[in-house]
Amino acid sequence: MSASVLQILWTTLVVAGGATLIAAPLGIALGFLLARRRFVGKSLVETIVALPLILPPTAIGYMLLALFARSGPLGEHALGFDLDVLFTARAACLAAAVVALPLIARTARTAFEEVDPRLESMGQSLGLSRRRTLVEITLPLARRGLAAAVVLGFGRALGEFGATVIVAGNIPGRTQTLALAIFEGIQLGDDARVRTLVFLTLLVAFALIFVVERLSGARHGRRA
Amino acid sequence: MTALDLALRVPLADFELDVALATDARCIGLFGPSGAGKTSILEAIAGWRDVAHGHVKVGERTLLDTTASIAVPLRARGVGYVPQDTLLFPHWSVRRNIECAQASEPEFTKRVVAALLLGPLLARMPQTLSGGEKRRVALARALCAGPRILLLDEPLAALDRGLRARVLSDILRVRAEFDVQLVLVSHDPTEIITACDEVFVVDSGRITARGAPVAVLRARASLAESLENVIVGHVTAIDGRTAQVEVAPEIVIHAVATDVALERRVWLGLDAEDVLVADSAPKRISARNVLPAVITEIDEDDCGRVRIAARLGAKEGAPTLSADLTRAAADELALARGRAVHLVFKASSCHVVARES
Repeated sequence: MSASVLQILWTTLVVAGGATLIAAPLGIALGFLLARRRFVGKSLVETIVALPLILPPTAIGYMLLALFARSGPLGEHALGFDLDVLFTARAACLAAAVVALPLIARTARTAFEEVDPRLESMGQSLGLSRRRTLVEITLPLARRGLAAAVVLGFGRALGEFGATVIVAGNIPGRTQTLALAIFEGIQLGDDARVRTLVFLTLLVAFALIFVVERLSGARHGRRA
Repeated sequence: MTALDLALRVPLADFELDVALATDARCIGLFGPSGAGKTSILEAIAGWRDVAHGHVKVGERTLLDTTASIAVPLRARGVGYVPQDTLLFPHWSVRRNIECAQASEPEFTKRVVAALLLGPLLARMPQTLSGGEKRRVALARALCAGPRILLLDEPLAALDRGLRARVLSDILRVRAEFDVQLVLVSHDPTEIITACDEVFVVDSGRITARGAPVAVLRARASLAESLENVIVGHVTAIDGRTAQVEVAPEIVIHAVATDVALERRVWLGLDAEDVLVADSAPKRISARNVLPAVITEIDEDDCGRVRIAARLGAKEGAPTLSADLTRAAADELALARGRAVHLVFKASSCHVVARES
């Protein structure tokens, strides 16, 4: 395996990892909010959270591009300094995070909904604070579902292409992930390289799905 | 001072719960059919259910008053709740379940664990416990939170006969040993009569009767639907595992009991199906109880089951026992009011529950 392929694998894992670090806390918090709280505008939040599932990733990429462009709301003109996000690994992380967020939030919501809310009421009746109830009862009971949510989000970030190529480009050694490198290899007609990259992608995807299935099986009481 | 004072209006799926009660009783029973609103009352006291309008006071403390916008948070209510499904935390051991309520001193926790005989279970996980063990753990956990009032929702439901006697005995022990008011929900008159000082009958979201359990529940039941046999007595002798319980002058019932002492006041429970009726005293029989009785009531249900009530001994006011038998058996014995018979039942058919007063 060549050094450049290893570099691509490393960039892919870093981008997906970074995206997961951004999207997981937000997605889990959103999942909890949607599962446990009643508030005005809940349907609107649900819709906005689900949007990236429906939108073409290129559209998401364009919106991020417009957001961080020099004249955009988070651009140099508006802030007075350059965030220096576009066409960096940070942009790739951000794009992958936006795409992974709905998957994490929806899976986390299901995980929280599977915890009997009466157990939380019982915790509070026994004198536990809301925070202790969340930390000591809700999160431990939802942990397998939440872990599955994070792994699924990581997997979605790993395969992200459309939004990433628009906001981060396809820069070897900096923003070129497995998905982008496979696309480039096909365009260049480099079949041997494409086969290697696809094999690598398959390996990583297999490992992820295996982990999710194990977590899901344990969650529903199946024995592997 | 009234120990429990509440008025609640709670919209439910099929009707509006609209109840008001105030009582000084140490142990009150909420009696009624399934779906009558009993559990909703408990959940409203515990703060688990939204109340449209009303108030809840335990002693001098107001837990809820919708007109004054008072709603004490769950954790500060001092209400122990043992729901029907116990809601033990499945990821914690029995010990952790009990100790999570850190309101009580370690010594108190030890006392609760000892009183409910939970020592051998402390390292177990809830999933490995039997139904009766789960109820005991849930009872201990609620007690260790140091509640002023303890709500028990159908604590004996879905338990087999042996476990019912055991858990009922635990509840009576809690009542005797710990300074806490009890609210017991049940649709079983025997439980209410055995454990409670006052009963409120709940039907379709309303309280339809209140009073002393025996008076209220007997008055409401036709004979065919009446109580299983519950008689009070005191232990006059113990021979190994068998106790002799005097239920009236010169009327002694033999019962298998492991947890009673001489002179102890006890409740005797006996299923009507376990009582046989004979027209004369059997001469040689293994059953330890052969009691002369006089039939006072005969009733028959739609299924052809005949239930008789028979007074033990000749004296008016003596306790009565009910017995179930088939129409054919009743005809063969020519049973009728005033007829002298003998009631026969085994010592092991009797459930003995110690009572502190």
